[in-house]
Amino acid sequence: MPKKPLSLDVTVLDNFVYDMSRCIKCKGCYWVEHTYMPGIKFTTRCPSNTWNPFDSYGAFGKMRIGHALAEGKLSWNQKLLEILYADPLCGACDVGCKRNLDLEIGLTLEALRIKAVKDGAGPMPAHKKVAENISKTHNHFSLPHENRLKWVTSDLKPSKKADIVYFVGCASSYHNPEIARATAKVITSSGNEFMLLPDEWCCGNVPYSVGMVDEAKEIAKRNINAVKETGAKILLTSCAECYRMWKADYPKILNIATADLGFKVIHLLEFADDALKNGSLKIKKPIDMRITYHDSCGVSRLCDAWTPWKGERGWMGTVSPPLKRRRGREGLYSQPRNIINSIPGVDFVEMPRIRENAFCCGAGRGTKVAFPQLASFSAKHRLEEVKEIGAELLVSSCPWCKNNFTQAIRDEGNKIKVMDISELILSSIEA
Amino acid sequence: MAIVKEAYTALESIVGAEYISDDPVICEGYRSGPGGYEAGCGYERVMTKIPGAVILPRTTEEVQKIVKVCNRYKVPYVPYSTGFYGPRSHCHVENELLIDLKRLNHFEIDEKHLYAVVGPGVIYSPLQEEAMKRGAYVVIGGGGAQASVIANLIGDGWSPLSHRIGLPHRRILGTELVLPDGELVKLGSLAIGDDPFWGDGIGPDLRGLLRGYTGLRGCLGIVTKMAVKLLPFQPERLIPTGISPNTALQLPEKRVKWINFQLPSKEAQVKAMFEIGKAEIAGAVTKVPLFWRAIAKAECKEGFWELWGKENEDTIKNFFIVRVLLIGYTSEEQMKYDENVLNDIMKELGGIPRPTKPTDESWIKNADSAGMWLMCGSYVSVDYVIETLSQATIHGEYYAELKKKYTPPLMPDYGDPGWFQSFELGHQGYSEFLIYWDQDEDTTGVDHFYVETSKMNIKHRFYTSLLGPHQPLYLTGPKYGPNYHKWLLKIKNEFDPLWVCHPPVPLAHDIFVEKAQWMKPLKDWESPEIKIPPEV
Repeated sequence: MPKKPLSLDVTVLDNFVYDMSRCIKCKGCYWVEHTYMPGIKFTTRCPSNTWNPFDSYGAFGKMRIGHALAEGKLSWNQKLLEILYADPLCGACDVGCKRNLDLEIGLTLEALRIKAVKDGAGPMPAHKKVAENISKTHNHFSLPHENRLKWVTSDLKPSKKADIVYFVGCASSYHNPEIARATAKVITSSGNEFMLLPDEWCCGNVPYSVGMVDEAKEIAKRNINAVKETGAKILLTSCAECYRMWKADYPKILNIATADLGFKVIHLLEFADDALKNGSLKIKKPIDMRITYHDSCGVSRLCDAWTPWKGERGWMGTVSPPLKRRRGREGLYSQPRNIINSIPGVDFVEMPRIRENAFCCGAGRGTKVAFPQLASFSAKHRLEEVKEIGAELLVSSCPWCKNNFTQAIRDEGNKIKVMDISELILSSIEA
Repeated sequence: MAIVKEAYTALESIVGAEYISDDPVICEGYRSGPGGYEAGCGYERVMTKIPGAVILPRTTEEVQKIVKVCNRYKVPYVPYSTGFYGPRSHCHVENELLIDLKRLNHFEIDEKHLYAVVGPGVIYSPLQEEAMKRGAYVVIGGGGAQASVIANLIGDGWSPLSHRIGLPHRRILGTELVLPDGELVKLGSLAIGDDPFWGDGIGPDLRGLLRGYTGLRGCLGIVTKMAVKLLPFQPERLIPTGISPNTALQLPEKRVKWINFQLPSKEAQVKAMFEIGKAEIAGAVTKVPLFWRAIAKAECKEGFWELWGKENEDTIKNFFIVRVLLIGYTSEEQMKYDENVLNDIMKELGGIPRPTKPTDESWIKNADSAGMWLMCGSYVSVDYVIETLSQATIHGEYYAELKKKYTPPLMPDYGDPGWFQSFELGHQGYSEFLIYWDQDEDTTGVDHFYVETSKMNIKHRFYTSLLGPHQPLYLTGPKYGPNYHKWLLKIKNEFDPLWVCHPPVPLAHDIFVEKAQWMKPLKDWESPEIKIPPEV
């Protein structure tokens, strides 16, 4: 069998025809990994297919649909777009498949969206609006750009120059200032300084996630240059979506390695965990609550570093040179648990689905704007787990998760509290 | 393509518009191929179609109504639980209705009498977890932890744990079956009351109708509810550990332990299985295909080939492994006793214990069938037999010899005689032969090998399991039973006179041979002109 050139370039769907054609319907993308299967409740990890039970909404259905599309047997229509975009691309399917088969499901789904845009079919109208907002006002919400720094209160003192640049992100800049402020205080409480970008723009999460790769590439170039110009050594985020973009998707779009960005990308989780371990951050206040933690996708299964790869596929589908698959193993799984468990008085309890098996809140990667009903369903479904274990407080590491859960709780009228990890840390370090 | 409008409207009135669709994109998601069990082969390319519509009922009553509408409008239909069983569980004719049963996910456990009642939407790993929470367990069949419990039990349903637990049909208790015309039949104790605790009932045992030897792929009705026997396990929890792909259950070593032994010869290997069975110890005793060891060690496809490429015919020929699972069902002392007996047997036979991890990666909770596609991308188990232990191992050797002729396109396995193991404490021996290939190669050899195995089984008088819908019925039927084909077709005609239930199964493989030109050279058996329904 002749070898076929291959790369992980998501702008070329042909790179992923093999992956689409080898899906075996084991539904490892759908079920919680069987070793961790918690019982008859909470058995799935795919928000889309849990929301809509037709097989076509699972990754195994999408692989068949995508394959038919690649072969010209299907053409774009509204249903196809709905199936493709009613999906938070949370990575559960990708790590599930890589338990056994090593198919590039996550990249395939991205490549299908890029093709949808290239063909003039995608993305959804709500996504186009967000992209337009970003283009005009440099933020997701079309709010005035000049308001981006309104979260900076007088007690916060960003430095002009520091090793750490805090990339705040649209959500925390505009809607969740409490997260931005808490993050800033956690950094300074550890004896470190931070600076802000002179002119922060959106990370481009939605444009990239919905397939608008050209727009996302321009944003990535602009943002990376902006950080390089500051001379900072570390880019710190408090948003899981921003973190994923900076750490994995910018390098992917620009065909460079994460290690070649010129600075290190970290999430507050890593910073705070290290600071607690080395003693620069000190817990002063007990919190007497039963707390659980939601693994936000961008800081868990989606955040393995990116390394460009180009090679060939040959006999029995083997590839050369060696390819280190991204399996979600670099996820920040232990850090949030270390942090929460270091707070005296906390009764930490895990949900049935955790780490790479966690059930996505459903808000990410443009889902909430285009499919609010799916986002609402996912959050409510996840909250059932919180209720099951009797937790009072749900902690996550992403403002989009926090907001989605908060809205679902409001809709349901229940008493569960939601907090970002930055707020939890802050409330335990402030005497 | 879609089913007739009147039928669609009638079906929609049963489940509501939300749970039925004839949208071509929705239907495409239910395509069998191009990947999966037996996919990429001729049978999949020639015999499968995408559905004309898909419907998702919630209750037995809805299933009955759907089936009755199908009979009224002569709409062919196929029951579908998870879709994992490859082309044979997908639509075979145009304008067919696929009845997706995943919403029938009823689940309850009778802890006192040790059985669980499940719907076809319930898969194995949740059942096993719920059973183990209560100190009980089930066999997760080789089909995998993601297989529908019901679909697996009416088809296959065995694993290495069948050494102690026994054959699958013994674990089928009270059951609800919607016949091909929509009539509801209750089997076992459900026939005389509401308690499904017992598999036997008044009148003939209809469990044979459900599965025969290895299942009828849904061509004789739809099981909507089944009580499944649970067996006592041991009380300690098996703790999940690790991050994907290196996940496993940490075993409480004083109660559950895998031990691998290397034996000096094939005779010693088989004798060890006999003796372990005779001593009535252990939860599993098996010899698996040797390349599975390479799969377990490798982290990726390329890693597998690096390991497997170091093997050759000599290393395989002289490697005799027996893998034993010890379970302290009643106590730590019982476990110690079993281990002592096992060590005595192995000492006598020259068995040397090999390093074994204190974990379970596959079989207890995560029967890892999906890993079978790692090496080549395409896979099918061509045959399994339940014989005596000594016959079972010979069966594998015949297979290995035949396979050489078809390698390539089949994966090189250096003459490994496949998987064999003890069933029911050594009273039976099980042999399964698995093949792997790359579907981008010419798969004619794979199609030929599949049918040639039937001829080999007939010639050497192995009682193959893959009868009925798995092989040409007019090839295998006259040689088994005898006239297995006539019995099966008469039953089919009686229960499904319109042949609306998953047509043309059980004659699908015969039709495939007729349709596929490349199969003609193999057609050396007599068969009538195939008509649906057939005259028997």
